[in-house]
Amino acid sequence: MPGEAADVSRGHAVRERLFEVLSTRWVMVGLTVVPAFGLFLVINVLPIGWAIVASFHDIHPYNPEWTFIGLAHFTDILADPDFWEVLWNSLVFAGGSVVLHLVVGTGFALLINRQFRFAPLVRSIALVPYLIPTAILGFMGLWMANSQWGIINQILQQVGLIDGYIAWYGNTDLAMLSVILTSSWKLTIFVTIMVLARLQSIPEDHYEAAMMAGASSYQRFRDITLPNLKGVIFIVILLRGIWTFNKFDIIWVLTQGGPVGVTTTAPIYAYEVAFGRLSLGEASAISVLLFLLLVTVALIYFRVLEPSREVRVE
Amino acid sequence: MTDGGGRLVAPGARRRLLDGVLNLLTLLGVLAILLPLLWVLSTSLRSNAELYSTPIPLIPREFSLIQYERLFQPGYVSFLDYYVNSLIVSFGVVLTTTVIATLGGYGLTRLDIPYKRTFARVILFGYMFPPILLAIPMYVFWRQLGLINSYVGLTLAITATSLPFCLWLMWKFFQTVPISLEESAMMSGASRFRAFYEIALPIAKPGIIAVALFSFSIAWNAYTIPKIIMPDSDKWVLTVGIDTLTLADQVLWGEIMAASVLAIVPPILFVFFLQKYFLRGFRVTGMN
Repeated sequence: MPGEAADVSRGHAVRERLFEVLSTRWVMVGLTVVPAFGLFLVINVLPIGWAIVASFHDIHPYNPEWTFIGLAHFTDILADPDFWEVLWNSLVFAGGSVVLHLVVGTGFALLINRQFRFAPLVRSIALVPYLIPTAILGFMGLWMANSQWGIINQILQQVGLIDGYIAWYGNTDLAMLSVILTSSWKLTIFVTIMVLARLQSIPEDHYEAAMMAGASSYQRFRDITLPNLKGVIFIVILLRGIWTFNKFDIIWVLTQGGPVGVTTTAPIYAYEVAFGRLSLGEASAISVLLFLLLVTVALIYFRVLEPSREVRVE
Repeated sequence: MTDGGGRLVAPGARRRLLDGVLNLLTLLGVLAILLPLLWVLSTSLRSNAELYSTPIPLIPREFSLIQYERLFQPGYVSFLDYYVNSLIVSFGVVLTTTVIATLGGYGLTRLDIPYKRTFARVILFGYMFPPILLAIPMYVFWRQLGLINSYVGLTLAITATSLPFCLWLMWKFFQTVPISLEESAMMSGASRFRAFYEIALPIAKPGIIAVALFSFSIAWNAYTIPKIIMPDSDKWVLTVGIDTLTLADQVLWGEIMAASVLAIVPPILFVFFLQKYFLRGFRVTGMN
């Protein structure tokens, strides 16, 4: 644009010069990739590294001196039957939740993926539980299942299913089941959203071709829909599994790990060690152990799915 | 329809029966989502006399705003403070996450840098961190840095849970933006930065909105991290502040439900009006 160059204003020239400087490769890298990874390093990687260091120390809450004790925290934790029990509780919570989420979540996604009159409205409503803060869901559960004024007790009694009001979160036999059911009200929707997104990405002509070839609706479901959902179901089992295993908020709001520890999962236990017993070194060691479990799951995830292949890296 | 069975019922009728059953199941699902929310709303609009009665009438006999009034009564519960704290922190998280993720996503897609696959794995691994496994290490680390009870510390901590997913989203989003537009702009003399600023950024707007929405819902939802690294009651966010009401000797259910209604409103408003961006985010990443 040689003709325009003459009447380029001074401000414009400064701007162009600035843009040119900003466009050099290292400035671009410095402005885009470096902040992202710098921040990631500081807020995601460093705390974990710090916890690993802390796990080899005895840390007193009011004494800034750390005492090095080697692997003592780890040997103590692994020898403590309480630790294995809370791992088991986490496994029960995660296993029960994920099965429920998969069955109900996938079923609901298939239902709302159909063509029907209110489909867009229903799909919007399905998003709502995702948006309710988990702690708020906890208060809703505590109120609705309240042993004195809870609407759930009231309705169940009026229908004749129970004789008296039940303390759902305070009963040793029912607490875990009640926590799983309450948290599933929200967590199931993650599966529904994921499956729905996958279903809607299946090209319509696959179904048309199958119909042309005379496949029944069951055959179309079995041969087209299900194989397409395999990947999503695997991700759900793996990712939702490890997240539910490490779920803290909803369990803490509903039961604080009680009654008598039946809902004390691994993260609740780590929290109690850190802020109940004020043993930050030991709590760091528990975090490191849970972190190793997470690494194992991540390795399986990367080995089987290799999701990083989805981005162009050449 | 030449399938063997079902001769007694016309195929059309069978189809309609199946549709009816499926519609009924869908309706049950919708009710399972909506009824608890309606009950919370209905609870918050009653007076205590009606609330603490057995059985509670399903439809309120008279509407009352007393629970909301008490929430805002000075010196009663610090609801307004908690609400403002949540807004401040959410704003900080949305701003930090959106800016860093947009720039980072662009750089990772368009610039030629080594070890991209390793970066991708590291980000995805970061995305798997549950809040509790960040919160306890952060408490230990933040204490050393003097960031306990600070909004900067909390904003950074929550960003740790939102940034990996949002960075991944923008990385994949910029891949859906054809590079040819930027290339032709650069061919006709525009600098790389100008091509980014004037071409790539406007096209990426839907992705940027999606990232802002996701990070807002993550920040507004946060409970574990603020509970652990903000022990000072003046600094509590909404979720943590309301929780303490359930632990008091006399649980103020009416106020708690009114507070819950007010806590639910912002995310629902945001996402309902910007739903298409939200869903696009799910489709681009195929996860969350």
